[in-house]
Amino acid sequence: MMQHNRALRALLSGTALVAASFTAQAALAQSKIAVITPYLAQPGTQFYVEAFEAAAEGKDWEVNVIDTAGDVAAVISRIEDMVIQNVDAIVLNVDPTQVTAGLQVAADAGIPVVGMDAGSDPLLVTNVTSNGYAMAAETATYVADRIDGEGNVVMFLFEAFPPVQVRGVVAEAVFGNFPDINILDRVTPDVSDGGIADSRAKMEAILAANPEPGSIKAVWAAWDQPALGALQAIEAAGRESEGIVITGIDANPQAREAIAAGGNFEATVAQDFKGIGTTAADVVTRILAGEEIKQGVVYVPTQLITAANADEE
Amino acid sequence: MLTLLRRYGTLIGFAAILLFFWISLPETFMTARNWLNISQQMSMLIVVAAGMTIVMVMGDFDLSVGSMASLAGIVAAVLLTLDYPIWVAISLALLLGLAGGAINGALIAYVGILPFVATLATLTMLSGAAFVVSGGKTISGRAIPEEFGNFARGGIPLGEWGGVAVSLPNLTVVALVVVVLVWVLLEQTTFGRRLYAIGGNIEAAHLSGVAVRKLKLIAFALTGGTAALAGIMYASRVASANPTQGSGLMLNAIAAVFLGSTLSEHGEPRLLYTILGVLVLGVLDNGLTQLSVDSYIRQILVGGIIILAVSTSSLTKGLRSR
Repeated sequence: MMQHNRALRALLSGTALVAASFTAQAALAQSKIAVITPYLAQPGTQFYVEAFEAAAEGKDWEVNVIDTAGDVAAVISRIEDMVIQNVDAIVLNVDPTQVTAGLQVAADAGIPVVGMDAGSDPLLVTNVTSNGYAMAAETATYVADRIDGEGNVVMFLFEAFPPVQVRGVVAEAVFGNFPDINILDRVTPDVSDGGIADSRAKMEAILAANPEPGSIKAVWAAWDQPALGALQAIEAAGRESEGIVITGIDANPQAREAIAAGGNFEATVAQDFKGIGTTAADVVTRILAGEEIKQGVVYVPTQLITAANADEE
Repeated sequence: MLTLLRRYGTLIGFAAILLFFWISLPETFMTARNWLNISQQMSMLIVVAAGMTIVMVMGDFDLSVGSMASLAGIVAAVLLTLDYPIWVAISLALLLGLAGGAINGALIAYVGILPFVATLATLTMLSGAAFVVSGGKTISGRAIPEEFGNFARGGIPLGEWGGVAVSLPNLTVVALVVVVLVWVLLEQTTFGRRLYAIGGNIEAAHLSGVAVRKLKLIAFALTGGTAALAGIMYASRVASANPTQGSGLMLNAIAAVFLGSTLSEHGEPRLLYTILGVLVLGVLDNGLTQLSVDSYIRQILVGGIIILAVSTSSLTKGLRSR
């Protein structure tokens, strides 16, 4: 009995300690804001959540960041919990059409929900994001220009996540406008391990199937991880001198390093994640002040990254 | 005294957790609305865990339930996009679950593969099949009829509670029906008693004329069926289907059964205790979120609680028999 009690007490006091430190914070704060996402493990999401928290610091907010580790239904559950807690606003980073049940509950309670790179939805006040169409057009035209509008291109896509899905649509349209560009393969990598390893494996298979030098002119990836995987595959196969052009999107640190090194990975686009986070915080401030937000989407500008500017952050 | 602790240690722990949240969240935690939310949030896990209990009673387990849930959701969604009526889509997805479970059962009972290996293999296959059928995409938007998503949003009105209209969520109702059915099956029928006999001593059960193989096949089929049902419920809740969306269910279901089994007399799984295990997990999620505790800390706590519960149970058992 003693033993059990001791362990139980230790557990409960541990929980109490954690909880008490958080509730103490709550007592001081004026507005409660919840940030809910299943994708916190993704570098992009981390950047804007951190920027949002930084922007919130001077604002007398209590920010609660909730990660459901890939579980979308749990996002609905956590929205329900936050509505019960009667938070002042919810910031969301997931496809809103999949969490309508939760958004409806928030709408019924009159709690505003702002999308942070989420996708547009009538139940969101607005969605703050980069212009995915413009970013994909930047890298797709870069590829088309570098290969002089002809040759085989491998595309890495991910249609399950709307902001990445639109990139694929635009790149297809750009390549479709060049009659001599042929899409050799459209690959959706398994992203459960981060996306690099599986993309590398898929690219190795494609390289093996196309052994002729010049048979693959470019790899267009909808984000950086598959581009890095493709780069590894090309280098491992000893085919880095064939001039296969690789582009990604997002400009994560590893991608910038690869581009700066001057290998096959030539270009990516930097989203202003910090800008998305700060703009989302701005939008929340405006909503809390009672302003009506008119645009369904608030765009934050992006920048093409090549060897010329890969070192700048 | 020790028996009491071994039997009710987990229950005492659960009560302590409830009390802690109640005190920390006096306004919101112990309200009808919050508990109806928890019941809805946990409904899918309840269904999977109930199915998992059926095979764990025999000392087996099924690792493929998460992939089966994903695949069933995808299959239902694809059929809906092809304009099949909702009842056809749901029925076919459920049949798929039963069939997939029966294959697990056949591999284990007739071919003689260990459940770990057999269901690990089918986990991979079903997960791959979910990607193939969906083309790797999330099936969502207008392709899914509104009524399908509305089901998970609706409920049976219960009236007013403190000025707020509350209703019993449809998903909770489905979970309750499954719990009643599985409870009757395990606790009130010969079938259920034979499963417990297999779990107690498979040789003895076999020698006393229990059709071990056939029963295993049926039990695994039922587990597959409940996994498919949970997948359909999940798809309705998110009004979409994604090839990986059920993957979180498997470990939580097994955890709930283990947690619950610490409450039973000989450590065997019992359905109602499994449900209590699910509630522990659900209450932790709900309460810690409301307290703004980091979601990763919740994972550490859940693991810790399982170790604590199971070790209390086995330590006291050891002390008693000494």
